[in-house]
Amino acid sequence: MPEVFKAEKTREESEEIKKLLRESFTGTAFGSCVPRPSKFRFESQQDDETVLLLGRRHFVTNLGWIAAICFAFVIPFFWGEFPFLKALDGNTLVSLTMLWYLGILLFGLQSFLMWFYNVYIITDERLIDVDFMGLLNKTVNVAQLARVEDVNYTQSGFLASMFNYGNVIVQTASEQKTPDSFKGGSAFTFEAVAYPDKVTSMISQLTEEVEKTWR
Amino acid sequence: MEIIPGVVISFSMVVGLMVKISMVLILVLSLIMIRQESLMDRVVNLPVGKSLKYIVWAFFSLTLLTTVIVVLA
Repeated sequence: MPEVFKAEKTREESEEIKKLLRESFTGTAFGSCVPRPSKFRFESQQDDETVLLLGRRHFVTNLGWIAAICFAFVIPFFWGEFPFLKALDGNTLVSLTMLWYLGILLFGLQSFLMWFYNVYIITDERLIDVDFMGLLNKTVNVAQLARVEDVNYTQSGFLASMFNYGNVIVQTASEQKTPDSFKGGSAFTFEAVAYPDKVTSMISQLTEEVEKTWR
Repeated sequence: MEIIPGVVISFSMVVGLMVKISMVLILVLSLIMIRQESLMDRVVNLPVGKSLKYIVWAFFSLTLLTTVIVVLA
């Protein structure tokens, strides 16, 4: 069917959004808040959709598994302190050590992949929360900016205050329950994002602009 | 200990067998990780995804080599 009319994209980013992106966020590909990521595409991205911000959990949230790996790395040096391991012959002990380090590598790699690919995407049209749980489960929550009703953020704990990260909770008008819905409403949460105040401002600004467009 | 006549089952033998089985399981997990990484890269496509693919494949190769060495030893 021939195209009768195709509306051109007339809505550009406002100066406020440009200012927020320019001044508030910096980051490399491994950062927790990357403004306008280059050469980035996600699965359901439309051709005329612009990615404004790519976020993930703050790097500090990885300290737990990094510390566990560092601790586990030195344990084989003390194999001799375990009585039941003294009973093993040399070959078996070497095999056990190789298994131990392979397990550590597997755990570290999996933890890194989970951190790296669990992202939050803010485009000029919608919000997307991509969650990979384990190696075989994935959840993608999408909310149109026009359906965003409320945006809040929380920041609690010593590390969160020191490194400035927190949870951004987006309340939408959708009736569909999402896995992290709370209080009977439909919401999804950007967990442990850096600069939660700036992210909240940005989403609020974007929703205001979308409302103005539709009036 | 002689459950089967003529065969002495020692603690080392049992642990060795468990280690070999665990290595094979880790090999299977590394294969799953390769698949999952490619799926993740399809959903969230970043330039550094190619490097991560090489890292995961390198881990699989290392696991395969180690498993072959341990199982055949």
